[in-house]
Amino acid sequence: LLFYWSLGCWCVLLLLFVSVASAGRDVDSGSNDTGRNPAPEDSHHQTNSTHHKKAFPVLSFNFDHVRKPFEISLWILLALLMKLGFHIIPRVSHVVPESCLLIVVGLLVGGIIKAFDEDAPVQMLDSKFFFLYLLPPIILDAGYFLPMRPFTENLGTILVFAVVGTLWNAFFIGLTMYGVCQIEAVKLGRVDLLSCLLFGSIVSAVDPVAVLAVFEEIHINELLHILVFGESLLNDAVTVVLYHLFTEFSHKGTVTVADAFLGVVSFFVVSLGGILIGAIYGIIGAFTSRFTSHSRVIEPLFVFLYSYMAYLSAEVFHLSGIMSLIACGVVMRPYVEANISHKSYTTIKYFLKMWSSVSETLIFIFLGVSTVAQPHPWNWTFVVVTVVVCFVSRVLGVVSLTYIINKFRIVKLTKKDQFIVAYGGLRGAIAFSLGFLLPDNEMKQLFLTAIITVIFYTVFVQGMTIRPLVELLAVKKKKESKGSINEEIHTQFLDHLLTGIEDICGHYGHHHWKDKLNRFNKAYVKKWLITGERSTEPQLISFYNKMEMKQAMMLVESGSAAKLPTIMTPVSMQNIQPKEPLKRRAIPSISKSREQEIRKMLRGNLQKTRQRLRSYSRHDLMVDPFEEDVSEVRLRKQRVEMERRVSSNSAANKQSQPWISKQQLGKDNNIP
Amino acid sequence: MGSSSSRLDRVPGAKDLMEETGFSETNILCLYDRFEVLDREERGYLRLEDFEAIQQLAVNPIGDRIIGAFVFPGRETLDFPSFVRVLAHFRPTDTTWSRSGSQPEPANSRTRKLRFAFSLYDQDGDGKISRAELTEMLQAMLGMQVTDEQLQSIVGRAIQEADLDRDGAISFDEFKKSVEKVDIDHKMSTRFLR
Repeated sequence: LLFYWSLGCWCVLLLLFVSVASAGRDVDSGSNDTGRNPAPEDSHHQTNSTHHKKAFPVLSFNFDHVRKPFEISLWILLALLMKLGFHIIPRVSHVVPESCLLIVVGLLVGGIIKAFDEDAPVQMLDSKFFFLYLLPPIILDAGYFLPMRPFTENLGTILVFAVVGTLWNAFFIGLTMYGVCQIEAVKLGRVDLLSCLLFGSIVSAVDPVAVLAVFEEIHINELLHILVFGESLLNDAVTVVLYHLFTEFSHKGTVTVADAFLGVVSFFVVSLGGILIGAIYGIIGAFTSRFTSHSRVIEPLFVFLYSYMAYLSAEVFHLSGIMSLIACGVVMRPYVEANISHKSYTTIKYFLKMWSSVSETLIFIFLGVSTVAQPHPWNWTFVVVTVVVCFVSRVLGVVSLTYIINKFRIVKLTKKDQFIVAYGGLRGAIAFSLGFLLPDNEMKQLFLTAIITVIFYTVFVQGMTIRPLVELLAVKKKKESKGSINEEIHTQFLDHLLTGIEDICGHYGHHHWKDKLNRFNKAYVKKWLITGERSTEPQLISFYNKMEMKQAMMLVESGSAAKLPTIMTPVSMQNIQPKEPLKRRAIPSISKSREQEIRKMLRGNLQKTRQRLRSYSRHDLMVDPFEEDVSEVRLRKQRVEMERRVSSNSAANKQSQPWISKQQLGKDNNIP
Repeated sequence: MGSSSSRLDRVPGAKDLMEETGFSETNILCLYDRFEVLDREERGYLRLEDFEAIQQLAVNPIGDRIIGAFVFPGRETLDFPSFVRVLAHFRPTDTTWSRSGSQPEPANSRTRKLRFAFSLYDQDGDGKISRAELTEMLQAMLGMQVTDEQLQSIVGRAIQEADLDRDGAISFDEFKKSVEKVDIDHKMSTRFLR
């Protein structure tokens, strides 16, 4: 505990130093030394005097050279240390969600820096920085790992909440605030309708970062999670359109019907265009991954870069970058995963999680820091009314929309669900950054203050209380389940069943279209985007292979022979039962190569080969020789049995003896 | 309302069917229209050929099993009430129905739905899904793209996961348990829209 706090303090001090240093204009190699200079004294004296003959500087101090990266690294380090530190104090982290703690830390750090130096540029949450660097990793992580099944099943509901709900929120808040401003007592008569509507559109959008941060900790059931989260992702299109619309209108001054109509058209253009761009990049990415079998090391980069390009391209045309990013990840994923190696898959997964984690932490800290940096014109009425109105409009919107949606849903949304959806509508950094982009007029600071207050309210109050409320209302929690082959089989079976039933009824429902899409996918798309053999592999087989691979790896890593019988038994049972004459179908090359893969992998890990010294190449992923030696002895035991199992699998009918006893014999022999 | 009640009179036994299955008037009418479309020769009942004429079912890997579930073994024809009774399984689950009732369990309860699905697996009706039956089902679903060894390993693994009493076959309770995490109410329901 002491260690972390001392590290944290050291970081803060360094940050102070850095900010003070950056405040000075001419950073000479010695002129900015405030005494914390680690360089030894003599060189300092040497380099300070420029008109003496310069001796060769053994050690010199040139901070300006690395200032920017140094600052950035320090901030990230501080963020990560804080993230680590919170889990040291279990009581606090259980009650308060991480996001709140991070904002508080940001506030403290901002306050400290400001206290030392009034003019220090503490405005960290620069909009460009936020939208271009901080936001994309989080969205890509969310989009790439989006659970497709619940998402598509609830797509209608999500869209209604995202589009209609956000529109309702924006107009309700905007109009109410305008009404409030008209009241004489508030002294805000200068605020015109368009500015209020603009303000309403900024503050109405549910924020994916905040939702992710809070919902992740409460482990709520899948349906609610996907509803709120899906809404927060898809409402980006609405926000973008409304924002640009009202900004343009407030420039022009007058609004005509034609303009309103164009606004509606632009909504479709923004959202569909964004999705289209994302899909195009996704397909290109999938196509590229088809050819990467010889350079496995750079595979993950393709995924990241194509997605990022999709985001940037969409932003160029003022289309919805978030939707483009999500479309790219969703389209790319099934094909890329079939093509890339297992290690690349792990790399992608961990890099995305890492980046999004860092981004999220940074966003919250900077939110805190930037709050301190603003002058805050405080108008009680405006701010309080905004908070209340936001909450009220959200509740009203959710309740009325659910009433309509439930008429079309198979599984209705209960009152509890509605409450969680309404309560989970958190605002976050996107609203703040959009507010920051507002044209500089007298209202901007007031709006920013109100936005920050709403954000703080939702993140702190709603974020903190949502967990006890979930427990209190006994909302269904997420069911922890590993993939089971049974579930996969039965789910596919039920898909076929329902498709058949729908065809009998002559009713083109959800399953019918899904089936059509799957057929199209299998017939045409997979051939183009997946390398050779894997393109005809049915989904069930891939799933099964993945499971087997996972289990084989688990086996190798844990080194326990106890797990073996579970894999052995199916083979044994197969041999005991009388087999009907095998129809000799032409064995497609898939199974052989998959077998080879699994076999190769197991062999590579189990054999005690003395690693021949290969020439070092940066582009090859080398097996760690140390790991091999350590597990060598343990694994030798299993090697014999694994090889037997693998070879018996390919010559299934040759074994006549019951397999079990042979295995037991083998085990007995090997016990030292 | 007048016209629809006269339309309802066309449908034999409509009132009883509505009460038994819980379908609404519009649903029954809709299904009856569909029944008449399928019954091209207007015999008043459906035969195997009528089902086979549905193109999509021919492409469906388990199409013949589904048809078999409608047309019970031993009977050749399917009349309208039986048609509706089978489809009643796929009505969205009523959240208001509670277990304590004196009424028999409705067709669209979770257990009844699962029983229907189970009966599609269990072709010989012995109350258990044997290894062979599961293999057959998987073969139908996976088609030509899989070897026997892969099939056997998948079947073996599936049985081993689900078979809790180690009798080598999956009983109804074991089946129920293995899909407890799947949202059956959602997956096995379809909307009978107008």
